[in-house]
Formats: sequence, structure tokens, C-alpha cells
Amino acid sequence: MKETFEFTDKIKKNLFYMMGIGLLGMILVFFAYPHNQHGRFWSNILACTYYFTGIGLFGMFAVSAGQIAYGSWQTLEKRIFLSLSAFARIGGFMLALILILGVLGVHNLYEHVNHIIHSPVNPETTTKIIYFAPAFWIGRVLVYASLWAGASIVLNNFFARTDQTDPKVYKRSKLLCAAFIVIFAVSESAISWDMLMSLDTGWYSTLFGWYNFASYGCAAWAMTILLVLFLKSQGYLERVNENHIHDLGKLLFGFSIFWSYLWFDQFMLQWFANIPEETSFWVERFGTGYFKFTIFLALAINFAFPLLVLIKRGAKRNFKLIGFGAALLILGHYVDFFNYTFVESGWEKSVVAAKKKEALEATENAPLFAKLEKGEKMEAKMEGKTAEKSEMKAEGKSEKAEGAKGEKAEAEEAEVPESNLSGIGIGELMIFTGFLGVFLFMFFNNLAKRPIIPENDPYLKENERLEVVYS
Amino acid sequence: MESAEPNKFVVGLWDHEEVYLHAIAHIRAKGIAIYESLTPFPVHGLENALGYRETRLHTAGFIFGATGTTLALTFMTWVMTYNYPLNVGGKPYWPLPSFIPITFELTVLFSAWGMTLTYLVRNRLWPGRVPRIFDKRTTDDRFALVFDAEKLSDDELNAIRSICKTEGAVEVKDKVFAENEGL
Repeated sequence: MKETFEFTDKIKKNLFYMMGIGLLGMILVFFAYPHNQHGRFWSNILACTYYFTGIGLFGMFAVSAGQIAYGSWQTLEKRIFLSLSAFARIGGFMLALILILGVLGVHNLYEHVNHIIHSPVNPETTTKIIYFAPAFWIGRVLVYASLWAGASIVLNNFFARTDQTDPKVYKRSKLLCAAFIVIFAVSESAISWDMLMSLDTGWYSTLFGWYNFASYGCAAWAMTILLVLFLKSQGYLERVNENHIHDLGKLLFGFSIFWSYLWFDQFMLQWFANIPEETSFWVERFGTGYFKFTIFLALAINFAFPLLVLIKRGAKRNFKLIGFGAALLILGHYVDFFNYTFVESGWEKSVVAAKKKEALEATENAPLFAKLEKGEKMEAKMEGKTAEKSEMKAEGKSEKAEGAKGEKAEAEEAEVPESNLSGIGIGELMIFTGFLGVFLFMFFNNLAKRPIIPENDPYLKENERLEVVYS
Repeated sequence: MESAEPNKFVVGLWDHEEVYLHAIAHIRAKGIAIYESLTPFPVHGLENALGYRETRLHTAGFIFGATGTTLALTFMTWVMTYNYPLNVGGKPYWPLPSFIPITFELTVLFSAWGMTLTYLVRNRLWPGRVPRIFDKRTTDDRFALVFDAEKLSDDELNAIRSICKTEGAVEVKDKVFAENEGL
């Protein structure tokens, strides 16, 4: 029985190949899509960094939550959860770097924000000017990044010490974990506003922090399942059996349903309320054919697949099926983040704006949202009082559209074909692979430092005898 | 149906969960059929020890749930799209997203009620029924194994009694019900 993970040259070599593919993909995307200051490239970097940082954070959360609740189910996988967090040590700083570059104007992902910062003060943006003041904005992200890096190092070292049984140490771990959960709860919500929601500063969703939490959750459980299965296939973790995988599978299934619930809530309330700054987000997505496809693809993978396939007890105990499901869900949640990141990046904003305009003009065959917007405008004209307000909104919209076009995009607008600019192409998959390589490299590097199973954990015996009887 | 139910039983009583589980495994290994098992609380691993099939209750639950989904969707579609189309806030006449919460609720309602009623009917727990009680202490601190004694010879019954004793039963007794009592 092998106890400590051996980071062999063969695995290293494979991971370096993955990183190489990623680098190649970056170069490919960077030079193939120079539109809008290489918007597609930066969107890729943002989506992948954000995604893998989230997985890492959730790993720490899983350990902390179990520890506080006197849980024993996670003891055998504890080291794996903690090692997932290795990427969060650099992920936060990478996100901060993306912001800094955005403020400096290297890319235009946060163009809207820049636009607000430099615009004259008006009642709609006063608070946003304060909230997105570059020093405060970047400072916040740097604070989270340092907290995450610190938490990852402290938790890893601390739980390395609990290998020596000492009730006092175990008690102190509760305090540490509780502290981390507070940090996580605040920073995880805030980073989702700072990095993703601010891509479209007009759009807001009050459950976005939750929503991201659910996405991280699905991805982290799926990643853990895959890594446990991989380690088992390499001859480690012999004590992990189908009961432990079943437990993780139940969490994966539960979080998938939780994610779907939040996705639908977010969508339905905004669809129903029909407030322009909220619906504009969905118009941009449902307005272009490709994103309509990826949105339904994400729903199919992240909701329909777990609901129909992973609900069975047998499916969660079948290593092949649950492994396939976990891999699929990791991809599915990448597609989800893709939906959030890419439309806003500006590389096809001009197309979307043109389409929107076109849709507004056509009354008969217009899509629902556009029809409603049109209807609202007409109403506003008829009613004297509300007219001013919606005119202001309409102005804000056209301003946005103008801002989106920008000076550089304007020149290209005419010759940019739509089909070349959107979608998950080979470049996206290559960059994703590259980031996965970095993530796994940091994971294995951390895992190899100490034995995988925390031999003296007070709950280890209980976990070894885990038996999932029901459901 | 009712006449096929046996009325004569041998009941073995245990006072410890672990001993009880081992006893079940050993008794089943000897090829003796267990008619019923009664415990004061849910014992982990009991279904496996008794070799029960996986319950089919969730299949019933799925069917009931699907009924609820279909009913909710068809009814709301009929009302909102065909029978009395209303323009609510400019939404289309078939506003699927706004149907989903109600569809979800009805799915849950149907599957929950359906499963509960199926369970009760299957276990004959309708109101007014007086159940057969093999030993009152099974709701307190005794674990009972019930054997069907209707068709067994005295030798076989004695064998069952002695196995129960050797497997740690604190008490073994006969239980005879009147014809159709509590069925």
C-alpha cells in the first residue's frame, strides 16, 4: 500500500504537455483574434483563472464545513480537498493582475467600468464610481487574494500537524475553519461581483454570489471525484471505496440541482420583472445564436444530465459512470462561466449592438425582449411623466452601445464577420487544458509533500467504516 | 389472498443489534426463511443482511411525479394559451418560465403524496386496521425475527428454536393468531 503520493516524472511530463498545449492555444487565440484589443484572449484567461481559483477555494471550504460540523465523511479525502486549494494561492493574484491590466487599458474587458469612472457624476453611477474607484477595486481583490493564499498555506500546515493526535489541536482547527468560512463567504461573493458581474456594470443579480458558490461546488466535487479515482487507479487510497465515492456523488448531484435552481431563479425573475438593465444581459445572450446554444448546452449538462443519470444509487457507485459524469460536469461549468465572461468581452459587442438595433427596428418578427423594450419606449412617449425617466435609460443604453463600439472597433465593425468571433473553439479548449495542467501540477505538488491519508485524525476510523445505506 | 397468510409463527427475540445482525446472517446461511424482522429503530445494514431487493417505491415516485409534471404543464398551457389567453406584462401566450415553479410544486406534491399513499397501502396501514403484534417489546428494546411455522414439521421448528438460542436470542416463543386476525 502506497501512502505518500509520488510525483513521478511521467505525470510531470504529461502535465507539462498540457501546459504546452495551453501556451500554444494562448498564442493561437492571441494572434488569430486581434479584434477589440485581443478581447477573446483575455476573456479566456479570465474565465479559466476565475474557474480554477473557485475550485481551489471550494476545496478549503469543503474541509472547513466538515470540520465544524464534526463530520467524518470527508476525512479520507481531506488532503485532496486541501491540495485543491494550491491553485488559489496564485489564482487571486492573477485575477488582480487582470484587473490592473484592465484599468491600464491593456484589454477592454472592464471597459464599461472605465467608462463609468471617467464619466461625469450622475445619480445612476454615483455609488458605482466609489465602488469601482481603481484603488478600492484592485485593493479589494488583492486583499482577498492574500487572504486566500494565507488560508491555503495555514490550513495545509495546520492539518499536517493534526496528524499527531492531540485533542487540543483538533479543537483549535474548529476556530480556524470557522474563520475561513467567514472569509470565504465574504470574499467569494465579492469576487463574483468584482470580476464577473462588473463585466456588465448595468446588470446585477442579487444571488450571483450564491450562484458562483454553486458552480464552484459542482466543479470541486467533480474534480475531487476524478482525482480520487485517478489516485485509486495509481494504487493509492485503497481505503476509499464506493461508499465514499457515493457520498461525493450525492454532493455533486445535490449541488447540480442547487445550481439549476439558482440559474432558473436568476433567469425567471429578471425575465418576469423586465427591467431594462437586467434584461439587456439576457438579450445579449439570447440575441446571438451561438450563446443561445451554449446556454442550453450548459443547462443540459449541468441540470438534465445529473437529474436523469446521476440520481440513481447505482450510478453514483459505478466508478466509470460517476467518473464520466464528473468530467462532463467540469466541462459543463466551464461552459457556464464562458457564457458569463465572453459576451461582455467586447470582441463581438459590435455585432450584438447591431443585432439589437435591427431587432428593435423590426416590430413584427422581433424577439420577445426587443419587442418589450420597444413597447416600453412607446408607452413612455405616450405618458408624459415617465417619459423622462425611460428616455434617460434609453440614452444610457445608446451610450453604452457607443462605448462598446469604441474607436478601434468602429473601424473594424464593417468587415468583422460574426461567425468567426464567438464560440468555444479549439483555442478555448487548448487554453482550458493548459490551465488544468497548471492546476493539477500545483495540486500534485502539494499532495506529494505529506501522506495522503491523515493517519491520526480522530475521525479516520469512523470514515473508514462509512457505509451509505440509503439513497 | 388472506387465507394464504400464515397464522402460526415462531418468534425469536434478541436484545442487541450486533448480535441480531450476525444471527440473521448465520440463520440465512443455513437456508432458513425469515418471515419478518422487527426492530425498535432502523438498523444499518439490515436490508442487506436480510437480502431484501431494492425498493421499487422510487419508481412509483417517478411515475407520480411525471404525472404531476404533465398535468401542471397541460393544464396551464390549456388555460393560458388556448382557453383564456391573457397578455400578462407583454409575455408570450405560452410563458414557459413562469409555469416552471408551479410545475415543480405539483411534481413534488404528486410524488410525495403518491409515494406516501403507495407505501401505506402496500404495508396495509389504512385507518382502522388492527395490526398483528408479534411482541410488544419490539417497540422498546427487543429485536425480533419471525419464522413462518405453518407448514414446518416439529423437527424443523425445534431446529429453528435451537439455532435462535445458540445465536444469542434471549427468548424464543410461539405465536398463534386467530384466523384473519389483524389482516
